[in-house]
Amino acid sequence: MGATTPLLLGVDVGGTFTDAVLVSNGSLFRAKVPTTVDQSLAVVEASRKVIEMSGAAAAQVSYFAHGMTTATNALLERKGARTASISTWGFRDILEIGRQDRPRLYDLCPSRPEPLVPRELRLAARERVGPVGETLPLEAEEVKRVVDRLRRLKPEAVAICLLFSFLDPAHELRLGEVLARELPEVHVSMSSAVLPQFREYERFSTTAVDAYLTPVVARYLMTLGERVRTAGLPEPAIMQSSGGVMPLGQAAASAAPLLLSGPAAGVVGSIYGGGRSGIDDLIAFDMGGTSTDVSLVRGGAAQTTSEREIGGQPVALPMVDIHTIGAGGGSIAWIDPGGALRVGPESAGAEPGPACYGRGGEQATVSDANYLLGYLGEKLGGADGLALQREPARKALGRLAAELGLELEETALGIRRVVGAEMVKALRVISVERGHDPRMFVLVAFGGAGPMHGADLAEELDIERVMVPDSCGVLSALGMVVGDERRDWVQTVYAAEGWDEQSLAGSLARMEAAHAAETVGAVLERRADMRYRGQSHELTVEVGERMSRDELVRAFEHEHEKAYGYTAAEEDVELVNIRLTALRPLVPVRIGDAGRERKSARGPARGTADGREQTSRDRSAPGSRSAFFDGEWVQADIWRRGQIGATRVRGPAIIEEDEATTVVPPGWECSLDEAGNLWLETHKLERSDA
Amino acid sequence: MPNVDIITVQVLSSALRSICEEMGAALVRAAYSTNIKERRDCSTALFDARGRLVAQAEHIPVHLGAMLDAVTSILSLDPEPGDVFILNDPFRGGTHLPDISVISPIATPAGIIAYAASRAHHADVGGREPGSMPADSEELSEEGAVIPPTRLMAGGRINQGFMDDFLGRVRRPQERQGDLRAQVGAGRIAARRLLDLVGRRGEENVLAAMDEVIAYAERRMRAAITGLPDGVYRAEDWLERGNQDLIIAVSVKVEGDKMVVDFEGTSAQEAGNLNCPMPVTRSACYFVLRAITDPDIPPNAGATAPVRISAPRGCLVNARPPAAVVAGNVETSQRIADALVLALSQAMPLPAQGQGTMNNLTLGSDEFNYYETIGGGAGACPDRDGASGIHLGMTNTLNTPIEALEMDFPLLVESYEFRRGSGGEGRHRGGDGVVRSLRLLKPARLSLLADRRRHGPRGAAGGAQGLPGRNLINGREVDGKVTLSLNAGDVVTVETPGGGGYGEIRSQDLIPKKQ
Repeated sequence: MGATTPLLLGVDVGGTFTDAVLVSNGSLFRAKVPTTVDQSLAVVEASRKVIEMSGAAAAQVSYFAHGMTTATNALLERKGARTASISTWGFRDILEIGRQDRPRLYDLCPSRPEPLVPRELRLAARERVGPVGETLPLEAEEVKRVVDRLRRLKPEAVAICLLFSFLDPAHELRLGEVLARELPEVHVSMSSAVLPQFREYERFSTTAVDAYLTPVVARYLMTLGERVRTAGLPEPAIMQSSGGVMPLGQAAASAAPLLLSGPAAGVVGSIYGGGRSGIDDLIAFDMGGTSTDVSLVRGGAAQTTSEREIGGQPVALPMVDIHTIGAGGGSIAWIDPGGALRVGPESAGAEPGPACYGRGGEQATVSDANYLLGYLGEKLGGADGLALQREPARKALGRLAAELGLELEETALGIRRVVGAEMVKALRVISVERGHDPRMFVLVAFGGAGPMHGADLAEELDIERVMVPDSCGVLSALGMVVGDERRDWVQTVYAAEGWDEQSLAGSLARMEAAHAAETVGAVLERRADMRYRGQSHELTVEVGERMSRDELVRAFEHEHEKAYGYTAAEEDVELVNIRLTALRPLVPVRIGDAGRERKSARGPARGTADGREQTSRDRSAPGSRSAFFDGEWVQADIWRRGQIGATRVRGPAIIEEDEATTVVPPGWECSLDEAGNLWLETHKLERSDA
Repeated sequence: MPNVDIITVQVLSSALRSICEEMGAALVRAAYSTNIKERRDCSTALFDARGRLVAQAEHIPVHLGAMLDAVTSILSLDPEPGDVFILNDPFRGGTHLPDISVISPIATPAGIIAYAASRAHHADVGGREPGSMPADSEELSEEGAVIPPTRLMAGGRINQGFMDDFLGRVRRPQERQGDLRAQVGAGRIAARRLLDLVGRRGEENVLAAMDEVIAYAERRMRAAITGLPDGVYRAEDWLERGNQDLIIAVSVKVEGDKMVVDFEGTSAQEAGNLNCPMPVTRSACYFVLRAITDPDIPPNAGATAPVRISAPRGCLVNARPPAAVVAGNVETSQRIADALVLALSQAMPLPAQGQGTMNNLTLGSDEFNYYETIGGGAGACPDRDGASGIHLGMTNTLNTPIEALEMDFPLLVESYEFRRGSGGEGRHRGGDGVVRSLRLLKPARLSLLADRRRHGPRGAAGGAQGLPGRNLINGREVDGKVTLSLNAGDVVTVETPGGGGYGEIRSQDLIPKKQ
C-alpha cells in the first residue's frame, strides 16, 4: 500500500448494534451504532463515526470490509425472491421431499420447513443424464416450452437443478443461456455452477438458497455501494461464511456463500487476536445474550464444514465450522417435571431482560446468577451503565432455590454449571468429536458473557489457558479487516475405475485452469475428499505438492483412525471430490505492539518451579467485593482491565471493562500480555493429576 | 447413593448422551451398508454393568425398546474386559436378522463398569433372498444367518472361527466385515470417551450418576403419565396378509403414574413373517409413549419402568421360535404404534393415521444389494395438514440419493415425486404419498414388503381416509408383499399411501385458501 499509512475499516452488522473498527497507524478505533432496518444506513453511520474519532477523512480509507446479516435474515424470515425451479422430468418434488426424514423423531405431527420453491413454481424438463452421460437429449422445443411457462409465472429468480449435472452440465448451461436471453431480468442459479457435487438434494437445496437470496442481497449491496461511494469510501469487500472476503460484485452475483458472514468474522477476529500472542491452536468461544457460537482453529486456520443446515435448508458450501447453541447470559433457568434444574433455550432478551435489570423480568437468568454470586458488578457497561438491582434477582433465584431445596448460592452456581454443561457439550462437538484433543488448545473467550465462564469451562475440558482478547466486544468487526480474500470450489471426480496421482493431478489442473482468471496472484490450496470403497461419507485431506498416492492414502488413514477408531489397510481408498481454495492474503495488520518484541512466542511465560513467588502482587488491587467461590464468600480483588499493567493477578479476582467481565477463580492467575490480550492460567489441573 | 448432587448428575448425563451421539456419528460415517451410511438405520447406547440402559442415541425408534434386551442376553456369557459380543437372534436380544448388535464391555482396573452397544441394519445376512428381507419366509432360518449371543472378540483378538463361518453364509462378505469393523470401532470410541470421563470425574461419581439418571427418567415419566386422564382405552387395527386381515388389538390402562398395555385379542402368530418378537412390540409402545409424553425424557431403563406391557404367548406380537419375523420389525411395529395412537386418541387430541408402512423395497443379486424404505403421507393433525412424502412412526431413515444409487447399482430411477391427491380430505388434509419408480438394468430378485394396500390410513374426527398404496411391475398391480425375479428393463413402481384427513369439511373451509 505504498508510503501512505493504510487505513483499514471493518463494519459488522449485528442484530442490535452495528460495530465499526478503524485501524490507523497501529491504533484501533471503535464505534457502535444501533442497527437500522436498511442496514446500509447504519454501516455508513458507524463508518462516519469511527473515521471521525480517528481524525482521518473518508477518502483516506484504503480498505473496507463488511459483514452482514441480510442473507441470513432473508432466509430465516422467508423474505427472499419469488423463486422457480427447473428439475429433470419425474423429479420436481425433490426440494420438498428432501431426505424423507422428519426433523424430530418423536413427532406424531411432523412438519418440515416450507420449501423455498412452492410446488406451483417447480417445473420439470424432459431430459436425462445418468452416471455415464446423456440418456435423453434436451430438445429445443422442450426448452421453449419450459421458458414460456416460466415467463407466465413471473419469478424473480430461477434455480436450475438437473440430475447428474455435476458430471455433465450441458443441459443446465443450455437452459441458462436461453433464460439469460429471453428473461434477462430474472436471476438464474445453476446447480452445476453453485456446487458441482453429487447427492442431488443437497446440491439442489444449495442452488435454491442461492437463487432465493441473490436478488435480495444484490439489491442491498447495490444500495450499500451507492451510499458508500457518496460517503467517499472505497467499495467494501464482503465477508463470506468461509471466513474470507470476496469483492462486492461477486457477492452480488451469488449469495449462498454469505450466510454466516458475521459469525465467521468473529472466528477470524479470534484467530487474529491469538496470532498477536503467538497462539494458533485455539477454540473460539463467543457467548452472547441469547446464543453462543463455538469454533475450533488449528494452525491459525478456521476449521470448515460443508454439511450444514440454515433455516432448515442444507447449504453444502464450505463454511467456518461454527456450532451454535441457544444459551447465553439471558437464558432463563427453570425446573423440569423430574426435578432437574434446566437453563434455556428461552431467553429474557433485551426486554424485560434478566431480573437484575429491574425492568420487570421475574425469571432467573444466567446473568442473575452471576450477579448474585458477586461476579457481575453493580453496573453494566461502565460508569454510566445500567445499575443492577439485587431484590428482583434474589426473588427470582429464591423461588428456584426453594423448589430445589438448595441455598441461594448453590442454586446460582447450579445455573452456571448447567449452562456450562451445555457449553462443554458444544465445545466437545467441535473438538473431541472432530478428533481434536481440547487440552492442546487455548480457549479464547469473548462476547459479553464469554469471559465470565471461560475458566470454569476450561477446567471441565482440562484446558489450562484461557485468553480474553483485546477488543473482545468488537471482535467480529476487527475480523473483517484481518480476513484474507478467499474463493472456494469443489468438483466431484469420483470414478468407479479408481484413481492415481496422474488422474488426480489432471483433475486439479483442469479445475485450476477453469478458474485461472479468478485466482491470479492467489495462493492455492488443494484438498481431496476420500473414503474407503463402499463407504459414503468422505474425510477431507490436504493434497501437498507432488504427494504420492501412498502418502495421500496414509494421510487419509490417519484421519480415519482418529475419527472412527480403526483403519482397514486392505481396503481400496476412493477419491470422491477435489477442492480448490484461492487465498489472497492481506497486508498484515498491526495494532498497538508495532515494532515491539513479544515476551514469548507461546503467550506469557509459564510458571516454573519458582512460579508461586513470581505471582506475588506487585501492586494491590484497586478494589474488592464479596464474591462466592469454592463454597464460601470471599473478598475478590476487582481490577479495571486497563489498570493491570504487568501485575500478575491471583484469583479469586474479577476484571472489568466496559463490554465484558472476566472471572478469575481461585487457583487461576491472570496477566496482560504485550499484545493487550488477557491470560488466565491454572496449575490446578496438573496438581489434580498428580 | 454417594454424595453426588443433582447438578453433577445433569452434567454427567449430558456427557453420557454425547458419548452415544459420537458413537452413532462415527458408525454412520465409517459404515459400508447403504442402510447404515446413507439411511442411518442404526442406534448406539451405553448400558451399566447390570445391563440397564443408561443413555441412547437412537436414529430410528424401532431400536428403542429392543436394545434393552441386548446386553442382558450376553451377561450370562461372563463378559470380561477385552471381549466384544455379537448377536442378531430375534428371540435372544435381537429384532430381525439384518439388525446386528455389537456389544463391548468397558472396564477400569476395578472391572467392567459399562457396556457400549450398537445395532445396525446390514445390507445382507444371508438366507434365501439377496438383502435378507424375503416377503414370503415362513421360518427364521430362511431369513439369514442366526447369531445367538457370541464372543466376536476375546482378549482383544478376533474370533476367527466365528467370522469365517458367518462371512461364509452371507453375500458380499467384505462389506459385512467393513460394517462390523465400524461397529467395533464405535465401541472403541465410546470406551475412550467414558474412561476419559471416569479419569476426570472419578469412577464413583460416574457410576452414581448412571444410577441417578435412570431414577431421574423414571420420575419424569411418572410425572408425565400422571398428566394423562385415567381410564382404559381400546382399539383394533389390522395388517394385510393376502386377502386376510390380521388383528392387532390393544388396551391401554392409565392409572395414576402407571400405564398397562395389553394385546389380548390380537391374532395368533402367522405362518408368514409379520410376527413380532416381544422386544419389537415393546419398542412400538415406548415410541408412542415418548411421543405423547415428553420426548425430552432421557430414553433409558427408568423411562420404561412405569409401563407394563403384556401380550399372549404365541400371538402375532409375542411370537415364539421358529417363527419368521423379518416383517415384524418393519411392518407390524408400525401397526402396533398406529393401534396405540388410535386407542389414546380417545384420551387426547391426536392426528389421523399416516401411511403406516415402511414400503420395504429390496432388489438384489449376487452382484448387488439395494434396500430402501419409502416415505408416504402423514395423517392430518388437529391444527394443520399432514406432511407429504415423509417417514412416520417406527422409522426415520433417509432415502438413498438418486445420484448415489445410480452410480452404485444397475438401476435407473424414473421418477420420485408426490402422489398428488392421495391424502385424505378433511378440514385438514392428509399428506400425499410418493411415487418411486425404478428400471432394472440387470436381472435381479425383488422383495416388496408393504402394507395398507387394501385399507387406507383412517381419518380422524370425520376426516376421510387416505388412498391405499399400490405396488406395480411394468404398470401391472401386484400384491403388497411379493418376492419374484425380474429381468433387465422391468420397472418397479411403488405408490405409497396418503395420510388420513382430520375433521369434517365445513362450508367455510371450501373458500379456497391462498396457495
